[in-house]
Amino acid sequence: MSKSIFELVDELPTGGLTVMSLNALDFVIPGQWQNIVGFDNTIKLVTGTDDPDYIQAIGERAVALYNDKREGYQTAMWLYNTVDSGSRLLGAAAIANKVGQKFSMLGFLGNITPKAETAQTIDLSVKLVAEIVAFCQINGIPGDSVGDFLAALGDYGGESLMRMAALVCFDGLIPLGPDFIGMVMDKMGGMSPKELEGNQTFKGIKDQIPGGDTGGKLGFITESFGSVSGWMSDFVSSRGLTPQTVVGNLRNFVEITDDKLDYLGAFLDVSTNYYSHTGTQTLARRLIERAAAEM
Amino acid sequence: MIVSNWRKALLPILLSVVLLFSACSSKEPSKYAQVQKDTTGRNAPVAVAKNAEAGGDFNKFFPEGSAGYARVFSQEKKGFAEAKLNKGGKNVAVLSISDTSSLPAAAKKYEKSISKLNNYPLLDEPALKSTGVLVNNRFQVKVASRDPSFTAEDRQLWLQKFNLGGLSTLK
Repeated sequence: MSKSIFELVDELPTGGLTVMSLNALDFVIPGQWQNIVGFDNTIKLVTGTDDPDYIQAIGERAVALYNDKREGYQTAMWLYNTVDSGSRLLGAAAIANKVGQKFSMLGFLGNITPKAETAQTIDLSVKLVAEIVAFCQINGIPGDSVGDFLAALGDYGGESLMRMAALVCFDGLIPLGPDFIGMVMDKMGGMSPKELEGNQTFKGIKDQIPGGDTGGKLGFITESFGSVSGWMSDFVSSRGLTPQTVVGNLRNFVEITDDKLDYLGAFLDVSTNYYSHTGTQTLARRLIERAAAEM
Repeated sequence: MIVSNWRKALLPILLSVVLLFSACSSKEPSKYAQVQKDTTGRNAPVAVAKNAEAGGDFNKFFPEGSAGYARVFSQEKKGFAEAKLNKGGKNVAVLSISDTSSLPAAAKKYEKSISKLNNYPLLDEPALKSTGVLVNNRFQVKVASRDPSFTAEDRQLWLQKFNLGGLSTLK
């Protein structure tokens, strides 16, 4: 049986590589992400209430909403978990035990291989599509117009914005370099459905991607990436983000030599699960907002 | 003989100590364990009533943003719609309309209401920093503060900006 929402939120870690790597991105969106963990604690922070009866009632409604599969929350959770390759390749738990020390990547180099550019390109675009699909599963399609919907997407803050910052930095800038947006658009534009079909991340969530057959899904992924490319370019340029600035901040807790930078993206990929971590936080927040409003 | 009796007496003591410690170390069940049990499994009840109004039907009754407040729709699910009120890029309140047919207790609490807004029962819940009205004994309209600058008076003011009369025409 899958875990309950209160267990998932209660079990979010307060330390470890995922949290440290996200904290290293604080310079990108200063002060906007706090690592909120604990189900009751999230209820308190979202609603501002300390009243135990209200907390219990909101929690119970949130649990009931999450457990009703028709409401889409479990699909969203599944999407966040599935696109995170985190623990599936390396024993992330073994690495996470080293909290408090500086991690040296050298010991892991034998276990990781930098991804080919095409695989990384697909990963980045599929993660972005997973974000859009998960958003709709959690929030529906808010408002009465495309403008309303875009405004809802543009209102990202907190853990959702941190997830996008990590996507840009850990899945874009570090593995693909400063021109990753143009490179992804070019590669996706010239990709065949067969190439897409061979990708693990795509295989994991393809049933949830709109578009019908693989060709249609490829079109949806390419269009989705294109439609947020402007936002991404602004995000990168307005914050002066480069692979060097990101790596510089990661060096606070990961020892890495310049000749092994290629491995950093792969290392982060297999040792962190930032999508499911912040995704759980996003989902809990929206669920609690709704539960409190409906009570 | 004495040794044997002493041993006989010790055994139950040891057993009870072991049992006591193992009972203490086992995890206490969560306070959400019961609701988790009640809402999972084959016969679990639905969380949203089958006949609940579509969330999109509520959108047109929300107030527009004004006076420095931007209104951003944020959720639209069956029986529920929500918008954020942002000021200076910061979320200060949330506005919502929900169909209480999924959660009758939400409508029932308005029996405690001692005041009205446009003839609809009004209820302020200070512990939740939220104020609501119940339209047609069914649709709950709520404004909840998310910033100390957004007061109980502000909540009432924004409740008045909803098109409550229009909402009351929904069947």
